[in-house]
Amino acid sequence: MNDNKITYLIDVAMITCIVSAGRGDTVIKAAQAIGATGALVYHARGIGPRERLGLLGIAIEAEKDVVNVLVASDYQDAVFEAIYRASELNVPGAGMAYITPIERLATYIPREILERVSGQEDTP
Amino acid sequence: MKRTLRYGDYLRAVGAGRRELSYNAILPTLHRDAQGRPLPPPTPSPIRLHPDEVAALLRPYVSVRFMDQVKAVVPLGLYLALFQVLILRQLVADSWLISAGLFAVIVGLMFFMEGLKLGLMPFGEVIGHSLPRKSPLPLVLFITLLLGIGVTFAEPAIGALQAAGQNVSPERAPYLWVLLNQWSGALVLVIGASVGLAAVLGTLRFLYGWSLKPLIYAALVPVIGLTLYGAGDPELAKVLGLAWDAGAVTTGPVTVPLVLALGIGIAAAAGRGDSGLSGFGIVTLASLFPIIGVLLLTFYVAGTVRPAEVLAAATAAAAMPAEALAWYERSPGVEIVLGLRAILPLVIFLFLILKLVLKEPLPRPREMWLGIGLTVLGMCLFNLGLTYGLSMLGGGAGALVPAAFMQVPGAAGSPLYVYAVGLTLALVFAWVLGFGATIAEPALNALGVTAEQLTNGFFKKRTLILAVSVGVACGIALGLTKLIFDLPLAWLVVPPYLLAAALTAVSSEEFVNVAWDSAGVTTGPITVPLVLAMGLGFGNATQAVEGFGILCLASIGPIISVLLTGLWAGMRAKLQERAARHAQPIHHEQEIQTQV
Repeated sequence: MNDNKITYLIDVAMITCIVSAGRGDTVIKAAQAIGATGALVYHARGIGPRERLGLLGIAIEAEKDVVNVLVASDYQDAVFEAIYRASELNVPGAGMAYITPIERLATYIPREILERVSGQEDTP
Repeated sequence: MKRTLRYGDYLRAVGAGRRELSYNAILPTLHRDAQGRPLPPPTPSPIRLHPDEVAALLRPYVSVRFMDQVKAVVPLGLYLALFQVLILRQLVADSWLISAGLFAVIVGLMFFMEGLKLGLMPFGEVIGHSLPRKSPLPLVLFITLLLGIGVTFAEPAIGALQAAGQNVSPERAPYLWVLLNQWSGALVLVIGASVGLAAVLGTLRFLYGWSLKPLIYAALVPVIGLTLYGAGDPELAKVLGLAWDAGAVTTGPVTVPLVLALGIGIAAAAGRGDSGLSGFGIVTLASLFPIIGVLLLTFYVAGTVRPAEVLAAATAAAAMPAEALAWYERSPGVEIVLGLRAILPLVIFLFLILKLVLKEPLPRPREMWLGIGLTVLGMCLFNLGLTYGLSMLGGGAGALVPAAFMQVPGAAGSPLYVYAVGLTLALVFAWVLGFGATIAEPALNALGVTAEQLTNGFFKKRTLILAVSVGVACGIALGLTKLIFDLPLAWLVVPPYLLAAALTAVSSEEFVNVAWDSAGVTTGPITVPLVLAMGLGFGNATQAVEGFGILCLASIGPIISVLLTGLWAGMRAKLQERAARHAQPIHHEQEIQTQV
């Protein structure tokens, strides 16, 4: 960074996947296999279907792992599908996943990468 | 025609202060196969950074750890130096060398602690986690015993204890000289075995949920008995200080976490998880058992070696010129060899257990080997700094403080003050030193947090830290008094320990655990060498036989102060309760009156 302009990354999407506690690692592995660079895991407590299912609610864990993965927009469908398959979201009570568009993202970008893509920058 | 334009939109359009880059441009394009399924991209190469980026990444990481050690070492060093210059009006000798030594201590401790966190601790956790699940209990306990010996060798303060042996005169305290010179290997082995035994007992305590009180009583009986027996013999009495100090030295930054990791792992494997009190008690026993071990070793040595033989050996050793020593027996070579000898056996031992008993791979091998490398490097640097920095500074200060109230050769114009004033100054100096050194001890902070959780916030963290610091300060001042007046150590340690035992009997289990463990956490890697060197320098200046005994008094101080604080807090709570009960009926009557 030779000048003090912030370099924003655009075309980023956040995929959030909520699964029962302890299954976050399978989600991360699946996402990484298809090209996601990293992930963030929270432990959380989910409320909703568990209370509305009556006695069947005992089959749903209240303790959840919430996995956030930031991916490039070209990758989002592929990663989302991989996560969906890996965490078997087609089974009732397994959890959910959703995609949030990210307007802009800023972080430290290694100079090597900036030099590599400098031709594609749209500096005004 | 008026056109309005949002300023934000305008800024975004002109791109003020920002550039945009598509994330897709950075990543390789995602290819799909004939069925339209995405193909996983090639595994990304590791991130390559330029040297200046590496420096920017490492700067915050290093500076945080560096400042941690600076905070612990520099205030103490400054305090000692300022006391010498302002109160004693003496210049610090070799100030450049001492500064370099202190710097080596800071850097060495930084590497050592970081290496501990990266290398040795994960080792201990893996073994503590999986060993009890795979092996029968006797084997687990046997490995615990061996580990106790290993960690004692790796304890940085043990080196300071051995280094202290060079200042003991063989004529006046022959047995002490033998123990610290010819038998120093056996001495450390015995201390280690005692720590191992303490770890075994502590682990059994986790397993079966024993109360700590009977264990303390059972350990105190032989400790006090042997001490009284030793005090009866004028030759043996000179070793008591060393024996009691050995207990204080063992519970340092290597022993406590590693042994605890193993003990807690065993308890967890047996299905007895954290009862809050698990984790306590090992430190206590590990500071009592070495006293027994060293005393027994002393009696054995006294039975086999005669003082005359000692003198002959000592004169032979002194007659050898310094040039005759090989490079690895001279400073700085000897410090490096000591550093390697301290860490490597422990690492090899842990590694063999992992490979042969558990047959497991290392969890993160590269990180752990780096950590072990850092530990060794840190230990060598720390040893160098110990010789040239802490020991010299402590020894110099110790040798000069008596100049405040008595004639000391080498200090011009001594005694500097009227006897009573100088004596008070020296004791205040020791008290403040103990207080300052303890309040900065990081392990104490952790204990304070635990104590607060154990007592549901009833015993505040600050209260505990203050109580322990005051206890240590009083202990160190008492230790100096012992050196000045050459009091027999037995009479200084036995009554306090009996008092502590009496207080233990009337205190609740939580306080007993916290109080007895607080004695162990106060003697960290900086306090021990400094106080040891100061005591020995002081002892030499005042012509005392040996300068040991300060550390153990610094250990008993906090036990008593914490127990007393706990009792006082308990009494206050009871009084408040009673007051509240009394207050309630009165309130009722008042309310009735007002209604009428």
